[in-house]
Parts: sequence; structure tokens; C-alpha cells
Amino acid sequence: MQSAVRRAFPWAILLLLGSAVAWALSFGTLPPADYTFSNDTEIESVDPANVTGNPEGRIIRCLFEGLVNWHPKTLEPIPGVAERWEISPDGETYTFYLRDNALWSDGTPVTAHDFHWSFRRFLHPETAAEYSYQLWYAVGARDYSTSQVTIGQPVEVELRERPPDALPYAGGVLLHGVLRGIEFDGQAVDEQPSLEERGDLPVTYLVEIDGRTRRFQQGGGSDAEDYKWLLPDFDRTVGIRALDESTLEIELNNPTPYFLQLAGFYPLFPVNRRCVETFGYPAWTKPEHIVSNGPFLLESRRIRDRIRMIKNPDYWDRDNVHFNVVDALAVASDTTALNLYMTGEIDYLPSVPATIVPELLAQDRPDFQPTPFFGTYYYRLNTTRPPLDNVLVRRALNLAINKREIVEKVTRAGQIPARSLVPMSIREYVAYTPAECGEYDVEEARRLLAAAGFPEGRGFPKIQILYNTQDTHKSIAELIQSQWKRALGIDVSLQNQEWAVYLGQVRQMEYWVARAAWIGDYLDPNTFLDMFLTDGANNQTGWSNPRYDDLLKQANRETDPARRFELLHEAEAILMDELPVIPIYYYVTTFMVRPYVNGFYHNIQDVHPLQGMSIDVEEKQRLLEAEGLR
Amino acid sequence: MISFFVRRLIWMVITLWVVFTISFFLMRSVAGGPLSNERALEPEIEANIRARYHLDDPLWRQYLRELGNVVQLDLGYSFKLADFHVNEIIAQGFPISATLGIVALMFALLLGLLAGIVSAVWRGTPFDFGLMTLATIGIALPNFTIAGIAIILFVFLIPIFPAAGWGSVGHLVLPGFCLGAPYAAYIARLTRTGLLDVMGQDYVRTAYAKGLATHTVIIRHAMKGALLPVVSFLGPAIAGILTGSLVVEQIFAIPGLGVHFVQAATQRDYTLSMGLVLLYTALLYTMNMLVDLSYSYLDPRVKVE
Repeated sequence: MQSAVRRAFPWAILLLLGSAVAWALSFGTLPPADYTFSNDTEIESVDPANVTGNPEGRIIRCLFEGLVNWHPKTLEPIPGVAERWEISPDGETYTFYLRDNALWSDGTPVTAHDFHWSFRRFLHPETAAEYSYQLWYAVGARDYSTSQVTIGQPVEVELRERPPDALPYAGGVLLHGVLRGIEFDGQAVDEQPSLEERGDLPVTYLVEIDGRTRRFQQGGGSDAEDYKWLLPDFDRTVGIRALDESTLEIELNNPTPYFLQLAGFYPLFPVNRRCVETFGYPAWTKPEHIVSNGPFLLESRRIRDRIRMIKNPDYWDRDNVHFNVVDALAVASDTTALNLYMTGEIDYLPSVPATIVPELLAQDRPDFQPTPFFGTYYYRLNTTRPPLDNVLVRRALNLAINKREIVEKVTRAGQIPARSLVPMSIREYVAYTPAECGEYDVEEARRLLAAAGFPEGRGFPKIQILYNTQDTHKSIAELIQSQWKRALGIDVSLQNQEWAVYLGQVRQMEYWVARAAWIGDYLDPNTFLDMFLTDGANNQTGWSNPRYDDLLKQANRETDPARRFELLHEAEAILMDELPVIPIYYYVTTFMVRPYVNGFYHNIQDVHPLQGMSIDVEEKQRLLEAEGLR
Repeated sequence: MISFFVRRLIWMVITLWVVFTISFFLMRSVAGGPLSNERALEPEIEANIRARYHLDDPLWRQYLRELGNVVQLDLGYSFKLADFHVNEIIAQGFPISATLGIVALMFALLLGLLAGIVSAVWRGTPFDFGLMTLATIGIALPNFTIAGIAIILFVFLIPIFPAAGWGSVGHLVLPGFCLGAPYAAYIARLTRTGLLDVMGQDYVRTAYAKGLATHTVIIRHAMKGALLPVVSFLGPAIAGILTGSLVVEQIFAIPGLGVHFVQAATQRDYTLSMGLVLLYTALLYTMNMLVDLSYSYLDPRVKVE
């Protein structure tokens, strides 16, 4: 028996290998798409409420459509699901009139109620949307998404049990009432205890429902009912209202001139209630279940490979959609993406490897034209640590950095040396002029450092530049290190940390100088400036200036756009004078797109909607043949 | 025989539990987590997100919950590919890595055995020297270098293979070769040593003395003994190849487990990393067990106890 098995062994192995190879070769090849692009990494989700990144944005813009769209060139809000809108004279109430030919992919119309429900879901703490603050401009929205309730306020109590006729993933029974009292740790209190105060101690809420006061406590109790969520009553406290099937009214806390642009930002896109409540998250995002309303439909997903989308035949603006099949590839390595581009497999890639940029620029290719991007590379200074608490030192450090040398020797893709936090190129889109800090001036830098008590750098403590692991960050830090040494005679050491560790250190303010970057969310200086409010979550420099806070607050309330920008400019001037951050350069886009793609425009937010884009087939044929690829 | 299996299985369960426990605490002791984000969130939003993923529970409760799920073979939803269950990700990625692995294994066996036999038979000739130098280089060169050279040669200079991607036979060749090359080099050296070892033995001399042709002696008599070291090397090699090469998959944009492994680790995707670590452990363990088992059939001197 043994020897028979032994003799059969090599044949068994051969048979196994042979059949495995046959199986491997049996995979079908997908027919090529009309337009194929690299989408960097695999996306986290196609649920608009659950994502924050650019790759996710590219896909969600294909699958869903918001109230407004962005013009591909000027980024101005243009009609989307809303065919027109009105803004009240005080700038605080937006009324959107929805078109009647906007349909979900299941054939039902997209109504104001869909937006109302989607926004409620987006803000709900159970959804835990990271971007929920993008809708906190609406009255009451912040309190709703942070479950902040006050006594005397209308509240809604969601119970764990669901209404008998509800869809499988619908919310629980909803009770509406008025909050009459809060008991914490057995004592009646006037306000809701904060998250830290609460800890594990139970809080009991007294809610008057239909004339009867009922007691609610998480997990239930001897004399209290259990509940799932206790939130301000969405319909009575939050300024988002569906007036009828096709009219949506949004009331804001302050006139927010960029709100219309935000309405076209992908987290504010609607989702289909019936679909979400039937399948639940994440099952509703599967190609066989998803109901969407955008120019394209989700055809299939292969994890970390590709997302295939097909044209939505019922999309209201279908005549403007020229691709029948679109493939988004998840290519984690940008060198690989470049190889795919160079061999004609993809038509667009979002960024090229930094090392290849000078070579591509030298070739002067029509398909590689870096243009300004709405982001700034800067250094944070920890203003709570001496000697960086001294404004003279911070100014000296700024004046001693030769930013031109950095963009010419290190980044080399046509980045522009920065003297302001808000990118200069914003001027091409809105009437705002960023305020600038001092320009490279070694003499003045030395003078300031001496005035701060460190003549020629004597006695200057050894400080450290913190950056996260990446070649470019390292080269920039090394260059600044040598520039500071040369100009000011100070010794700086470098600290390289892996991404998550770096984030932790910056957040805990365990650094002297730290590399940072910010990409604006919407076309307004506020997206950069509100970071440095006192106690802003992204301030992380310890810097605080009451005048700055006040100017931003005033700007928030200002209805005159010109006056508002003046106030913001004044605020930025304070920031650039006190320099808790040193701007280094403004980013540029480094995407490549084949010249045969028509309807593709450069813009400062690097957003390229696929509606309106088309492929010149003859030109494509000619170009690929010329490159020896076909 | 049966008691051998049972014992091995019990040890496998223990090994998996130890690996699970160590990985669980290692992952959570590393700085950062799946919610690390360049943009600091408002504390209330962060609290909402932590509650959603149960990250606000004490560590021991998280440990028990996850252990309970894993025991039921439920690896949970991925943190960073939130639309997918880890089981789904593995179910999609494993066949791809396995296919690539099989192609790589074919390359490794074909090239390795051939080179090993040739250099053993023509020992000391320039053939032997040339092939063994190549094998040494193959072992020494990391496969991303081999991949780079292969891409320049066969994608750009002589455009016969696609640069990257997945879906056709052409897509398999370059990554299969790059993944298999270092293994081929090992196999070549092992085959050569094994064969030379056996060639000096009495029974081979007897075979020659009977007047058998060289190829008959080598294939029918010498190879069987010479292959033992190759077989014992194949066990862990197959496990390694099957679970995907981290680097090769990344370079050729192949949606296999290797890419998931790298991304899950850098993105602190707790659930996906855990699933892959456990899968890898189980595979490695099974392969080693199969190798031990095959020994008893290939080598009459070995008995399974």
C-alpha cells in the first residue's frame, strides 16, 4: 500500500498543479471600459455619509448627485437635483427647488423628503459621520449630532423596539416630547453633564410625552425605561425642512456664503431610504442592492482591484454623459499607476511619483501640466514651548527659510513658495487676497533672533523638527535644518516618525516644530483660518489670540461679502504676523490625463466630474499607435 | 495515524489562540488606531465613532468579544474597507493569491528542478557554474528588483506583457515569474546538493553497473532520494507563496491577500489584519503538517507516530 501511494505521489502532485493552472487560466477577461482611471487606493465605502477621502469622492460623485453640482472649470455651483434656489436677504435661509425629472435608480423620484431623511441620517450620532460638521452650519444640527439636549427643549426618544410594520433596518419607535428634567447620579441637575463627567454613571431624562412625564435611562432601571437615542427633536429644532415634495428649506446659524458650494460636496449627497432600511449598512452598498441617483450605476466591485460603473439610463442629464462603462482602478503604488498610464491602460492618474516629476516636466508633455491646488504645506510651531513662545523667534525662523530653494531643489513640480496660509490662487475664484508674512531675509532674521536674546544663535536650545516618514518631508526638513544653521547658527535635530505616531505626537503637542499640510474643503479662506481658533481641534500649536477669534466670529455674521473678506484678511494678517505656523509652499496638482479626453478642466480643487467628459476615439487610436501601444 | 492528526489539530488550535492573543495586544499597543486621522475631530464626533466600533469598551471586553467572534469564524467587518466583511475580503483575495502562487510554484519547480539536475549531472562545468551563479543571484536579489528589471524588459522594451492588473493569462506571467524566481533558485540549489549526495551512493553505482542509461538512473533511481530536501522546503514555501507576496502584488497591482496584508497593517485595520494573521498561521501549520505526512510516504525510513 505504502509503495503504491509513493508511486502515485508525483502524479498526484502533477495532476493537482495541472488542474490548478487550468482553473487559473479559466478566468474571463472583462471587456475594456470607455474610460479607465486610477483612483489611488481602494475606497473605504460608497456610502456618502461614511467617507472623507478624495478617492471616495471620485466614486460617490459618479454614483450620487447632490442638490448642486460644481462647474468643472470654475467650481461655481450649478443645478444638480435642485434646478434652482433662493437665498434670503439675510443670507441665512436657503430654499432649494428640486427638479421633477431626478430619479432614483429604482424609478422613484428624488424628493425633498429624501434629502431631509438623508441629512438626518448624516447627522445622527449612530451614523457617526466623520464629516458631520460640514452640515453643522444648519440651525440645531450640531446639538443633534452631538446628542446635546437642554431642559425645556423638544426631544425625540428612539426606543430599541421597532414599529411592527417597519423595514428590517429602520430605526426604533420614535417618541416626541419635551425634556422636563435631568437627573444625574441621583441628583436633579440643570444641564446635561458632559461626556467626561458622565463616565459610566447613569443619567435619567424626564420627558413629557402626550401630557405624561416618562423617565428614560440607558439600559433601563428600576423606575426608568430603556432607550436607544435621546436627541433634540429633529423636526422641531433642526433647520432642515421639506416644505413639500420638491422644496427643501435649510436655515443656517449664520450667513455662510460658501454653503451653496458645500451643498455640492459629496458628504451632503442623498441616499435612498427604502434601500438603506431594507438592507442596512453595509449590505445596501452592494451592487445588487444599491439604489442611487447619479450619472452612473455601480456594476461590480473587486476589492482592491476595480470598481466598474455603467451609465445610468434614467439620469436626468443623460445626454451629457458620454461614457457607457467606467472603470476605477485601485492602484496602491503610484509607480504602478504611471506604468499603466504609459502603456495606455488608463486615461487618467491623480498623481505621479515625486521622483519622476522633473523628468516629466523636462519633456514638456501636454498631458502633464501641474497647476495650483488648494493646499498648503506648512510647519507648526509649538508656541507653548520656549523659545518658540517668543514671537520674535518665530519670525526669525520664518525669515531664515529660503522657500524658493525648497521648491526648486526638493519638490520640483512647480510648487509656489508660500507666504500665506490660504493659497494665493484662491484669488482666481473669490475676491479674497491672502495676507502675507515676511519674505526670506537673513539679516533681519539674525537681528530678530538677537533681539530675542540669542545673538548669533548663542544659548538657543536644541529644538527638533518632527515629520512623518516620507522622502520629501525628510529632504525638506534637512534643507530647513541646514538653512537655519547657516542663517541663524542654531542647531536643530530631526525626528522621523511613522504616520500614526506622528499624528499622536502632534495632537499631544509633544513637538517643537512639526511638518503639516492642509487641503481646503470648500472655496473659502475660512476652511484654512478656522483651524487656528482658540481650542480648535486642528489648532495643535497652543496659539490663541482673542482678536483673531473675534474677527472670525464677526466675519461669520457679516452679510456683506466684501466686508467679510476684509475681516478674514485682517485675521490672517494676525496669524502671519504671530506665526504659530510657517507656510512653506502651495501644492500643485500632479495628475496626468490623456489629451484625447475632452471636457477635462484644471481647477484648484482638483475635482473632475465625469459628466461632460468624452473620448475622441480617432485621436486615441492615432496617439496610441504613435506610441507603439496598439 | 489518527492520533497524529488529533494531536496536531489540538496544537493548531492552541497555536491560533496564542497568535490571536499576541496579535490582539500588539496591535492595540502600537501608537495610533483605525481612527487615526490627520484632521483632528471634534471630541463628540470622535466619541460617536468610537462607540460605533466598540473602541470605547475596556480592552478585556474588546478581547473577549473578538475572540468570541473569531471562534465562530466571524472575523468582523473591515475598518478601512467598511463595505466588506473580512471573510468576504479573504474569499475574494485568497483565490487570486492562490492562482498567482500556483503559477509561481510552476515556475519555481520547473526552473529549479531543471537547473538543479543539469548542474548536478554536469558538475564542475561552466553550465554548473553559470546556473549556480544565477541561483545565488536569484536568492540574493529581492523580488522587487527582479520585478523592476522584468517590467523594463518585457513591458517597455519588448512590450509583450501588461504592466500591471489582473484578469487575463498575460497578467499572470511577470508576477508569477518574479514571485517564483527566488524559490526556483533555492530549489535548484537543494536539488543539486541532494542529487550529488545520492549519486555517490552504492545503489546508484549498482544501477550504472547494470548498464542503465544515465537519464534512467537519474530519473528512476537518484531523483527519489534527492527530492526529500526539496519537499521539506516546499511546505513553508507553498504557504508563503499562496498567501501572496506582499511586494510583488503591490508592484503588479494584484488584488490578492498580500496587498491587503500591507494595507491593513499600515492603516491599522484591526479586524482585517487579525483575519489575515490567523489565516496565514493556519495555512503555514497545515502545510507543515502535510509535509511531515508526505515524508512517511516518500521516505520509508520515516514513520508517523
